[in-house]
Amino acid sequence: MKAILDWFDHRTGLSAAWRRWADHRIPGGACWCKVWPGAVAFAFLVQAITGFFLWVHYSPSDQSAWESVYFLQHHVAGGWLLRAVHHYSAQMLLVLVGIYVTQLIVTGAYRAPRELVFWTALLMGMLSLALLLTGDLLAWDQNSYAGTHVRVGFLKLLPWVGDALFKIAIGGPGPAFGHLALPRFLALHVGVFAVGFLVVLLLHGVLARRADAAEAEQAEHTAPFWPDQAVRVAVAALLVLIIVVALALQHGVSGDHVGAALGSPADLDPANRYAGARPEWAFRGLYAFSELFPGEWAILPIFVIPGLIGCIVLAMPFVGRIRAGHYFNVALTAVVLVGIVALSLQSLAKDRNSAEHQAAVDEERRQADRVLHLIRAADGIPAEGALSLLRGDPSTQGPRLFRQYCASCHDHTNGAGTGIKAEESSAPNLHAYASREWLAGLLDGEQINTPQYFGNTALRNGTMASFVEESLSDLDDDEKEDLAKIVMAVSAEARLKPQRKLDAGNAEQIRHGRALLADDYGCTSCHKFHDKGQLGDAPDLTGYGSRQWLIGVIANPAQTRFYGERNDRMPAYAESPDDPAANTLSAQDIGLLVDWLRGEWYEE
Amino acid sequence: MEAPCKTTSSPDKSSAAEPRRGFLAKAVALACGGVTLLAPAAVGVVAFLNPLRQKSLSGGFLKITTLPVLPEDGAPRRFSVIADRVDAWNRYARQPIGSIFLRRTGENDRPVEALQVICPHAGCTIEYQKTAQRGKFVCPCHVANFDLSGKRTDKKSPSPRDMDTLEVEMRNNTEVWVKFENFRTGAAKKIAEA
Repeated sequence: MKAILDWFDHRTGLSAAWRRWADHRIPGGACWCKVWPGAVAFAFLVQAITGFFLWVHYSPSDQSAWESVYFLQHHVAGGWLLRAVHHYSAQMLLVLVGIYVTQLIVTGAYRAPRELVFWTALLMGMLSLALLLTGDLLAWDQNSYAGTHVRVGFLKLLPWVGDALFKIAIGGPGPAFGHLALPRFLALHVGVFAVGFLVVLLLHGVLARRADAAEAEQAEHTAPFWPDQAVRVAVAALLVLIIVVALALQHGVSGDHVGAALGSPADLDPANRYAGARPEWAFRGLYAFSELFPGEWAILPIFVIPGLIGCIVLAMPFVGRIRAGHYFNVALTAVVLVGIVALSLQSLAKDRNSAEHQAAVDEERRQADRVLHLIRAADGIPAEGALSLLRGDPSTQGPRLFRQYCASCHDHTNGAGTGIKAEESSAPNLHAYASREWLAGLLDGEQINTPQYFGNTALRNGTMASFVEESLSDLDDDEKEDLAKIVMAVSAEARLKPQRKLDAGNAEQIRHGRALLADDYGCTSCHKFHDKGQLGDAPDLTGYGSRQWLIGVIANPAQTRFYGERNDRMPAYAESPDDPAANTLSAQDIGLLVDWLRGEWYEE
Repeated sequence: MEAPCKTTSSPDKSSAAEPRRGFLAKAVALACGGVTLLAPAAVGVVAFLNPLRQKSLSGGFLKITTLPVLPEDGAPRRFSVIADRVDAWNRYARQPIGSIFLRRTGENDRPVEALQVICPHAGCTIEYQKTAQRGKFVCPCHVANFDLSGKRTDKKSPSPRDMDTLEVEMRNNTEVWVKFENFRTGAAKKIAEA
């Protein structure tokens, strides 16, 4: 065995190299205060190890980036922990480099002959920021896409080269980006910034040891790196990992929200851009700083002022040669750090107190939950990506479409008044449309002329309203029972999913209600109802509120089957069945809207 | 400027006097450093080995065709097996996941025979060749010949076993349902892939 080792050593000189590395003398002796560069090295190695295994699972394209991260997070054993350790360890890496650089400045350890030691440490700080920025996009969720979209947009602020830099960064003309941006960011993240970090880290170690060696010759006492200083570094590194694991486990060890958060998949539609997007904490100060400036001066807080501060920091070794210069350096560092912390805290407090921001964050969280439900329901993700599940989901798209196309006139609010408020309520409230409650209100003389129903429409005090007020008020108990049956009968036409059990249980009453509707109460003298009555005077009650009926009304309410010439102001959203391009809403959108109005969507 | 913190005394004088302390420090350094790097690596390796936990999806009966489609004379026809294909996170609805030969046998208790097109030798795709007589199956890669029931006909066949038969069920009189499976290639025994 020894012969083999000797043979090997003779050819590599490894044992001599190890001795040189281990016996390196620390001037002033070993110290807990000197663990930072070693802790940085360990944190970087943890990133390299976990990063490699993330890379194994990652698929950088618009339709598969989020999906592959989802798969790692939810279907690969230990995947969520791997992601979480990489996520939190990245933040720790930046914190450790930050502490180390601050220490170099405060203790004056940047001065000759340690200028290069200081600059390489600064470079590690820049690279860890670059790693955070590029790594953030790779999850390809709403927050990372929206945030990166803003950040790469800042490149355009730069004169002359800005547009070119922007296109190079995202791999195309923009403004949206995807297939080409993701491999670029991945390659930059791993091939340039991570590899660059490793090179700079090694360089830094060599330079720092060279400076140490010169100092050690004059030092009163020294200690060997191994094991005196090494044990302190290793303990510090383990403590850092323990903090990382504690952060990774803060949401427990199982469930949908385990480890590091994964939002809903990136949506390139500007209408669905995440309004609650915020940069990672490391950039929060800069984000808040930029808000202090008017928009046309954005180049100042984003590039010019940070650039100037960077130049001053680079020049610190020279400024620090005189005593006053060193105090200036320390003071500047304190001002920048305190400024960043104060601005960050102020910005966080502002978000906490902003109802709009909280609503946007809550909405995104709901969406992130929703997409997991939909994937479970479909038992996988279609080839078009997880976003297509959300785009085909009535509970996600219904409110959006309603706000966009219907809420200019219609409310969609429940009894407590919560839901979607119309800009100017001028048409019936469509919450629980065609349900028994809704119809009972319509057929109530005290309600039909309120804004909930016909109050703000041309039908106010019209034939139907007058009939309800005159003929359906002051009913005796028997008549009330009849009316309830009519309500049941009409509502049953809608075949509402939430009412399916009720409808099945009341088959007898519904049958009776149908007869009453046609005969005793004379509804069919205006309305058509199956084989009774005629079209032309009032909306068809056959299939009233059903999927097909609602699709027809939204497509064109002025059809004879619906309101005909009496249609108030409701536009036709799909007037031309033969020319889909000419319609305001596609058949798919109308279907989603109708399914949402009717309460038909997948629930776990 | 000197670092503003306490430093240990120089071990120059004391290192020989304190070998035990040095050993303890080395052990702690190795243990802490080792855990810091090996724990994340272990999580990574567990994730990397995740494929070992995955089972291939097969075994259910799938409807392939109806009996009248098959030639009366017992000549084989090739059919694609259509099923949902799952690739990690994606589910592709109704994709071809394999091919089989179906052939009428003329027997009453098992009117249809199903054969995998995958050659048991090296996994190439076996072809049907019409001949003057009844025709035969040939694998193009190493020219293994099989008769219409999938039996090897060469004296020294490259294939270690006969073509793989699949379970067939007739449902509703004419529907041909096949239990589609893939089998390990290169083995003398027919072993279903798990």
